[in-house]
Amino acid sequence: MIKAEAEKQFEAYIKQNELLLHKICRIYAFTDTDRQDLFQEIVIQLWKAFPRFKGESKFSTWLYRVAINTAITGLRKKKDFIVSYEPARLPVQSVHETGSIEEEQWQQLLYAIEQLNPVEKSIVLLYLEDKSYEEMEDILGISQGTLRVKMMRIKEKLRQLSKNN
Amino acid sequence: MELDDLKKTWKENTSNKITNTDIMELIQHKSYGPIAALKKAYRKQIINLVRVPLLLLLLSFIIKGDASKLLGSVLFWTFVAMCIVALANASYNYRIVSKMEGMNARVKDNLEQQINLLDTRLNKMITIEKWLMLIFISAVEFIPYFPGMPDGIHSVNPMIRLGIYGLMLIYQYYIHKWILEKRYGDHIDYLKRLIKEMQ
Repeated sequence: MIKAEAEKQFEAYIKQNELLLHKICRIYAFTDTDRQDLFQEIVIQLWKAFPRFKGESKFSTWLYRVAINTAITGLRKKKDFIVSYEPARLPVQSVHETGSIEEEQWQQLLYAIEQLNPVEKSIVLLYLEDKSYEEMEDILGISQGTLRVKMMRIKEKLRQLSKNN
Repeated sequence: MELDDLKKTWKENTSNKITNTDIMELIQHKSYGPIAALKKAYRKQIINLVRVPLLLLLLSFIIKGDASKLLGSVLFWTFVAMCIVALANASYNYRIVSKMEGMNARVKDNLEQQINLLDTRLNKMITIEKWLMLIFISAVEFIPYFPGMPDGIHSVNPMIRLGIYGLMLIYQYYIHKWILEKRYGDHIDYLKRLIKEMQ
């Protein structure tokens, strides 16, 4: 594929899925700066992997794999690996008074999701994106049986975290 | 609110932070991923392994005005041979790491590959470097016994020579290993915890 054509196609794919990438960054990074850095890194990794995408899997499967792999393995700046899950770095959540109970509950649940480990976050992310357990297995490499058990435990954990928050 | 209730809100939620991102501008930036960091480290190693022998030649030319003695030295060529072995190892590692870029494998497979790359290959690299150091010390010590070879090294007190060799081995085996473990150890442990979490 000619480079200009590839660039055009790549840009179109990313624009179509930009919201999804931002959602992934929302879950895996805590501050706006970290989210921007992670978004940039995911796009760079997607571009590097793009020549190797030959259509053996669905584009969305491929995109999830690259994005989650990038988010989960962290970034390395100034000789330290910035890992997406460091409880000490989690900013104190202030739930804003929006007048909407649903909005507050949404924020509380998002905050609870932020406290999960990176593997749990990836399962929750795919669950929220309405992926079947078969698709989750294809993306994560975890068996469907294990995924179902983990999903039950994660739901319970989120209930507890939401109560505590 | 339960997770299932969040599904609808999750789908409907549109971030107000999405701007007109220039995607093609973003891909011009350098990667801060761990794979990119490893590639940079191996690239540096390759450059230094070519640079050091050339530097020695240049210094010999500058100090003595003539590099022919150095070019005729078995010790120098032993050192060059060791650099070539280390260079081949670094180049191989660089190629392996380059293949890992893109990270389009399943998440668990990708993590296992990274652990293998960082943990196993790192240990192999330390072992190879240790053996190269031992070969170099042997060459320094025994080559002068061959007829026609310069024997300046044996004029140094044997205890001092042993001390220097000991320090070199201590640096190679303990300090260098400590530096690598400090640089990569926490990350390897983190990746192993993730794999455990996936089981």
